[in-house]
Amino acid sequence: MKSIDDFSRPEEYISPMDKHFRSVVRAWADKDVLPHRRKFDEDWKDHALIEPAFDTLMANKGLGIQKALFPADLGGWGLGQSDYAFTIACTLAEEVGRADTAMAVAFMVTYWPLTTILVEPHVNRRLAAQFAPMFCKSDKAVFAALAMTEPQGGADIENMELLGGKTIKTTARLDGDEWVINGHKLWPTNTAGVGQLFGVPCTTRLGSTDPNDFALIFVPADVKGVTQGGPYEKAGMAADKNGDLWFEDVRVPDWYRAHGPGKDAQVFKEIIPWGLVGSMGFIVGAMMNLYEVLYEFVSTRTYGNRPLKENDAISGLIGRIAGDIEVCRILAYEGARIGDRRNRCYGHPLYSEEVLAKLRNLKDFVCDRAVENFGRAMDVLGVYGPDREYDIEKHWRDIKIIQLWMGGKQLCQMEAARYFYNCKTL
Amino acid sequence: MHKPLDGLFISTREQIDEEEQRIVNTVRQWADREIIAKRLAYLENYEHEFAAKRRIILMDIGLQRLVLSEVNGGFGWNSNTRAPGLAAVLMEIGRADAAIAYLSALQFTTILACAAEDTTFAGALISNFYSTDQPVNPALILPGPGTLDEQTPLFFGRAINVRLVHESESNIVIGKNIRPTGCGAIADHFCVVCADSSGKPMVSIVSADTQGVQKGNILKETGLNACKNADVTFNNVKLPQAAILEGNEVVERIYIWLNLLLAATSVGAAMNFFEIVYDWANTRTIKGGSIMKENPLCASVLADVAEEIAIARFLTDDIARLIAMMASPHSPELQHVYTMSQIVGYRIQQGTLRAVNRGMELMGSAGYAREWHAEKHWRDIKTIQSYLCGVGAEVPVKMDTARFFFDCKEIQGGQS
Repeated sequence: MKSIDDFSRPEEYISPMDKHFRSVVRAWADKDVLPHRRKFDEDWKDHALIEPAFDTLMANKGLGIQKALFPADLGGWGLGQSDYAFTIACTLAEEVGRADTAMAVAFMVTYWPLTTILVEPHVNRRLAAQFAPMFCKSDKAVFAALAMTEPQGGADIENMELLGGKTIKTTARLDGDEWVINGHKLWPTNTAGVGQLFGVPCTTRLGSTDPNDFALIFVPADVKGVTQGGPYEKAGMAADKNGDLWFEDVRVPDWYRAHGPGKDAQVFKEIIPWGLVGSMGFIVGAMMNLYEVLYEFVSTRTYGNRPLKENDAISGLIGRIAGDIEVCRILAYEGARIGDRRNRCYGHPLYSEEVLAKLRNLKDFVCDRAVENFGRAMDVLGVYGPDREYDIEKHWRDIKIIQLWMGGKQLCQMEAARYFYNCKTL
Repeated sequence: MHKPLDGLFISTREQIDEEEQRIVNTVRQWADREIIAKRLAYLENYEHEFAAKRRIILMDIGLQRLVLSEVNGGFGWNSNTRAPGLAAVLMEIGRADAAIAYLSALQFTTILACAAEDTTFAGALISNFYSTDQPVNPALILPGPGTLDEQTPLFFGRAINVRLVHESESNIVIGKNIRPTGCGAIADHFCVVCADSSGKPMVSIVSADTQGVQKGNILKETGLNACKNADVTFNNVKLPQAAILEGNEVVERIYIWLNLLLAATSVGAAMNFFEIVYDWANTRTIKGGSIMKENPLCASVLADVAEEIAIARFLTDDIARLIAMMASPHSPELQHVYTMSQIVGYRIQQGTLRAVNRGMELMGSAGYAREWHAEKHWRDIKTIQSYLCGVGAEVPVKMDTARFFFDCKEIQGGQS
């Protein structure tokens, strides 16, 4: 029997650490997630089942993977200094996503704001040292969040190329040696009581498009004035808690700003490629699990008293699905490699239009293929398609939001058009 | 909204008489007042609210008796000519809650396919089920996937997993862990496609309280959550002859009605989704201030939503008209109507789901949140679509289509 590992990747790009990371995370998924995930939907509010699985993946008493980005001398694994940071991120997203894309996003988003201060060439040693104990010494999973979306602007904050941050209503005012933050954020992953550290994009001058007025400030959840609302009830993605987040006269030291005027806007743009590569990894992981379930079903269930897979017409469908998984996996790793080339002479900076456009393009394509293929696979299962016991419907519900987030499909299309056609006013 | 839905999505309502239009209007008022205006309360206490609102439409408005013959105390909408009216009614219910419409679609299908003119013993039997002052839950067991370890009789390639054995003047139904198309856990009766020892397809009507009927655990399914499903085992269930209807034609009639009525259900749900997206696109801004619907890229997505729903509604009307024609001497043969209903039914489910998928793209995370209700329509329509496929996605329908239009002789078994 073929396995999910038979889907192609550009092997020459793959990290030497890939095999080791993949094997331990897959063993964790098979033991701690797959037997329980069908009950996760009902656990969306309490996380009584979900939380222990996060602990064994992320915390010291388990695999301890939440410390991976931190420098080794601060107790981490130093992945932030690796030439393969994106490729490894793609691997992790894939393996956790195979089990549960919501767990994958909650876990990977913890890295997201931290990439701005832990990944070369933008390491902020003082902040890294400040937050390292929180992540490197804990026996519980510790989550961070990137609090971007605001009530009035939706995905506008991610459209920095056009809007330059002018719609941001969350303000940061310097008062002596402290930032005072006020604002309201919606939907960040790892909120609703989960997050312990927030990366908060703010403006120091309302309505400004000047990059110097954009500030990315780290805010621990236990600081006075931070309020997290309850979790939203969603179509799926139960392991990923989202809620409202309010900052009311929240005070943090001035050095909690990621890098300073101008540089914060740049590293914020650099966050987007991480999110896009991670999204592709989640999707590909889910698609690989789709293949596992579908393989079993089409091999054991029949149409015309023959295995489904031996019917010429049905083989056309499932062959296309396998083909799309193959292509999407190659694209995801190609996307990761675009990220890992950032410091090479033949690469492009993460904040460049080129990287952003190409990765949005890839993410849009991969998401479209996934939405179609999961829907198609449910129909192959027919009357069993909507049954949670077959796992495909859970992925179908979960992966839809991956298509919708980070500005969704339309922002991907606009970024691609802007880059490839030199559009001036989009 | 400035324009009524009927003004936007044109329907060939000349097929509908005054009596039918009155019922449609009443159901629309029920949908607006009882559910759509109270969406959040409805969803927060869904199981209770579902039962209460369904009871209003079935018992107070009387739809449980809609397709029963007048002889049996019904409204007498028990002929093919009522197809357009029935589709219009189900669109209105589906706009409120596809799960309520789904249950009615199963009920109407069972009665109209098996006992339309009430000339059979089965007609009296089925009518008896519904002549009660309590809501009745039907379930339908269709041919679907087979298993490797068992060669089964086929209905155009789909496995018939329930057997009917004639034994000393008794009819015995046998089937293990059979998957209904929803509602198995709550069913008061099952309409079961089965086959006798010669492999001939037939339909049996099985009351859920008959000895030997065993329901399995409640399944967790994508949508239609009030239509709780479970596998069912028929452990040597004895049935009277009146509960058996023989012939491919009955099965074909089931698919014909099911395709129409579930098309109407999904179109209704999609029309409510349109209302949600309309509101969203009129009140949300992008790019720092532009109204979403005024952005050309967003407008093109909105156009996709409207286009899919408009076409799906046209096609629903067309298949209703085709079924209504079956009462006339110029009617196309049953096989032709069956094939067309399969083609059109599949296309409508695809179209309505695409409409919702595209619209959700514009709603971002809100499209995914329970609060906005869009995601419920998405899950409900997808569930209906997968149920209708039965097995193998669109392949069985494609085989039906090729067989009819190209006189294919041997594709039934899947061999080339």
